[in-house]
Amino acid sequence: MKGLIFSVKRYSVHDGPGIRVTFFMKGCPLSCRWCHNPEGLSPEPETVTRTDRIGDMEFFQNEQAGRYYAVGEILEIVERERVFIQQSDGGVTFSGGEPLMQTPFLAEALKACMSHGFHTAVDTSGYSPADNLTKIIPYTDLFLFDIKHLDDEVHLQQTSVSNSLILENLRILIDSGKDIILRIPLIPGMNDDPGHLLRLREFIIETRRDNVKRVSLLPYHAIGSSKYKRFNIDYRMSGIQPPSPRRMRELKDFFSETGIEVKTGG
Amino acid sequence: MIISERVKRLREQSLNAVETISAERAFLITQFYKSNEAGELSIPVKRAKAFEYILKNKQLCINADELIVGERGPGPKKTPTYPEICLHSLEDLEILSSREKVSFQVDEEVRKIYRNEVIPFWTGKSNRDRVMELMTPEWLNAYNAGVFTEFQEQRAPGHTVLGYKMFRCGFLQLKEEIREAKSALDYYNDGQAFEKNEQLKAMEIACDAIIMYAHRYADELVRIAEAENDPVRRTELMQMAAVCRKVPAHPPESIHEMLQHYWFIHIGVITELNPWDSFNPGRLDQHLYPVYMKEMKEGTLSKEQLYDLLGSFWVKFNNHPSPPKMGVTASESNTYTDFCLINLGGVKADGSDAVNEMSYILLDVIKDMRILQPSSMIQISKKSPDIFIHKALDIIRTGFGQPSCFNTEAIIQEMLRQGKTIEDARNGGASGCVETGAFGTEAYWLSGYFNLPKVLELTLNNGYDRKTGAQVGLKTGNAEDYLSFEDLIRAFRLQLNYLIDIKIRGNNVIEKTFSGWLPVPFLSLLVEDCISNGKDYNSGGARYNTTYIQGVGLGTITDMLTSLRYNVYDRRLVKPDELRKALEADFKGYEQLQHDLVYNTPKYGNDDDYADQHAVMVFEIYYDAVNGKPNTRGGVHRINMLPTTSHVYFGSVIGATPDGRKAGKPLSEGISPVQGADKQGPTSVLKSASKIDHMRTGGTLLNQKFSPAFFEDEDSYKCLTALIRSYFSLDGHHIQFNVVDAETLRDAQKHPELHRDLIVRVAGYSDYFNDLGEDLQNEIILRTEHGDV
Repeated sequence: MKGLIFSVKRYSVHDGPGIRVTFFMKGCPLSCRWCHNPEGLSPEPETVTRTDRIGDMEFFQNEQAGRYYAVGEILEIVERERVFIQQSDGGVTFSGGEPLMQTPFLAEALKACMSHGFHTAVDTSGYSPADNLTKIIPYTDLFLFDIKHLDDEVHLQQTSVSNSLILENLRILIDSGKDIILRIPLIPGMNDDPGHLLRLREFIIETRRDNVKRVSLLPYHAIGSSKYKRFNIDYRMSGIQPPSPRRMRELKDFFSETGIEVKTGG
Repeated sequence: MIISERVKRLREQSLNAVETISAERAFLITQFYKSNEAGELSIPVKRAKAFEYILKNKQLCINADELIVGERGPGPKKTPTYPEICLHSLEDLEILSSREKVSFQVDEEVRKIYRNEVIPFWTGKSNRDRVMELMTPEWLNAYNAGVFTEFQEQRAPGHTVLGYKMFRCGFLQLKEEIREAKSALDYYNDGQAFEKNEQLKAMEIACDAIIMYAHRYADELVRIAEAENDPVRRTELMQMAAVCRKVPAHPPESIHEMLQHYWFIHIGVITELNPWDSFNPGRLDQHLYPVYMKEMKEGTLSKEQLYDLLGSFWVKFNNHPSPPKMGVTASESNTYTDFCLINLGGVKADGSDAVNEMSYILLDVIKDMRILQPSSMIQISKKSPDIFIHKALDIIRTGFGQPSCFNTEAIIQEMLRQGKTIEDARNGGASGCVETGAFGTEAYWLSGYFNLPKVLELTLNNGYDRKTGAQVGLKTGNAEDYLSFEDLIRAFRLQLNYLIDIKIRGNNVIEKTFSGWLPVPFLSLLVEDCISNGKDYNSGGARYNTTYIQGVGLGTITDMLTSLRYNVYDRRLVKPDELRKALEADFKGYEQLQHDLVYNTPKYGNDDDYADQHAVMVFEIYYDAVNGKPNTRGGVHRINMLPTTSHVYFGSVIGATPDGRKAGKPLSEGISPVQGADKQGPTSVLKSASKIDHMRTGGTLLNQKFSPAFFEDEDSYKCLTALIRSYFSLDGHHIQFNVVDAETLRDAQKHPELHRDLIVRVAGYSDYFNDLGEDLQNEIILRTEHGDV
């Protein structure tokens, strides 16, 4: 069984505790306007053009974005990082794209990592049949769960899908007792108006259980724009400025009133 | 800030002092050598008398506000020269004063003394003249081609750090030891007894000389105290006078006395000669801690006084640029910090954790002083608390480049392998950039950098150097003559062994010139067991005597070999003769090939065994060529892997290389990957770097650049700490962090005036970014910024 992965990040320190290896899995059912990983959208390998520079000369080279990995290869990569993972109480994270789009592979990979003693995490949009989620729960130590917008209409408009399945899945996860970090992308003009922020905070207070360990605020950043060009996808976020550090500090204080630890980034 | 207004003023004084050449020492040593007395003496005694003569006639300097006295020259940053080692011509002085980077002011008085006194006397007589005359044509060919550099060509050997003994003992006690050693001389059975007696006589003179120098200061302090109007300063000056009356003759008993005691010793060492990698106090937290505790208990020292003393001590180091060079290196070499590396942490002689309150106090001082010298490092052992590392990261994150991080267990294991006792190993540390040594007991000399990629270039060109037009290596064939990769490696090994032998022959001759003509009786007092052996430091008197050759360009040569194997022998993408043509053309007309070599070829630094196996291969060949070959001092040659700035010079003498590097570009530094070749992040770099066996070296240098983003919160600190500890559990010797973003650096290149305080880690030491040459600046910018990956 193989999984399609578009990027492997070592010394990944924002996708769960400690030093981790993060596998970015290709394919996503959502289409968020602010997505900074457009290469994760399509569930197929793609050919992109890479531009290399030698002095003033440019070289164009076709390159495949996305490659199929066997579970054994995943383990081999993680094993090579074992010393760092062990020393830092780190682990392995599957992110995306949406990893649950490749649930059979994901479950196998998580199981293998867990049986080799690695802490496992899954970074998910929560948009997947509940069945898929149940399949990976036993092999996942930590879920990084995105909450983008609580209003279904806005959610649909901004991400192209409804949030009802997502919120139901969150309930399942909370009931499973597994550790959860709630991740809130803060997108200026999309979900950061005072009304929505208050609603979000209320929602967190209502939903929280002991296994909700942290709220992570992920400020929008413009890293995606050049990538979009390469993937020939329209970039719909032009002109939007990332929130200032001061604003992030204010929001951190705001969400701290949930009683849960709040972190900016990761 | 914990530093006081006084220390701030001292710091400003030091930062604003202008580098100036002082002819004082050159004039005095010339006067002495010309005197009738000098002609009558044995060489060791003559050197001791010269030392005494300088200390007797050298101008004293007491700066406003300061608590610790003594300068290398007549004032801060007034830098002496050493004509008995190497003689600056009037032209050299001109270059030094007019060069763009790190210039030294040279006034008319200096030129006059040089023209009328120094140059006429020393022409043809400096040790450099002697050395150059003694070298073989093969040595000169290899040297001119840039196969290696020679440390002892313009400076004296002296890679040594002060140990425990000298912080507990006064020079009167050393005189006692000398008397005992003299009386134990056995003229019946020891054919060397007479020579030993001369050495011991010389050491005794050196003892008296340093005490006399301290007493001159005591007298002067009293004199100016009496004229001082401010009663507070007057009391201070009187106290300082009392300290100088006591140390270094007697053992120091307070923090003030300890710091002044050390500083007189420091001045003595760098006045006697200009030893490389300046002498330093080593494990300063260990030395100061017991006295600090005693003073705290007895209430004789307040925290404010402590920080004033330490701040005053700190600027002393910064007042001392290392002596400027001559000849070609006067224009080329522009790093002129001396390399005082203060060690914090580590373990005690009994193996227990040595981190103490003084370690943290000194970290505070380093943080607040923020000056180039002294440099600092932390020794991290398995027993060191995480908070110790976090406190160091607090300083590192500011982009200051200090302190660097060392693996105590590695340092100890390296020394045990070399046959040192476990106590000597635990009492040791690293000095200079990353060099392992037993403090207070070892003379570990660095003899020169060795250009590993140059040897491979020669191997591909039948030993012929196109740049100098000389047959430098053996005639083992051209690139196209090697039918397999194994053939190529065989030829490389032959070339390397041949060139290393040339270097070692040179070392063994040069060591003898120092032993014969330039003994160092004062330095010999400080390093055990020179007194009991009746032997000079420069002649093997120390307990341990090691000679190092520093391998440079491991990343570059690994990528060269990887590319040759991958593209020529495995993939057959390019024929050897075609590759040779491309290299000769510096890739003009071969850009597509260059692109393949740079972007589509495995590289060292990515935890890719295909590439990394060649690092191990080169390491083993280099180790076999050097390790264990005898030096002249009863010890052996060993290897370490560090470049200082030589990777820039070494790159300038090498044409285009098979890894796609253009002619003249810098080589990789230390054991770091080629700049920009590491694409998988820091863990992969550390994995690659740990594949060579650090334990069989005397130090390796790994530079890792991080953007400030990696230091943002406690979680980041934990990850960085884990990263360091992981590398050390893989037996890595040293890692240092450059924390700065490329944008800042580019801006600093454009607007140097706005970034005068920008300090970056270069390679084992830090320097002002503005003082670096443009290539070096560009290289630092290029080094992968992992934060942006």
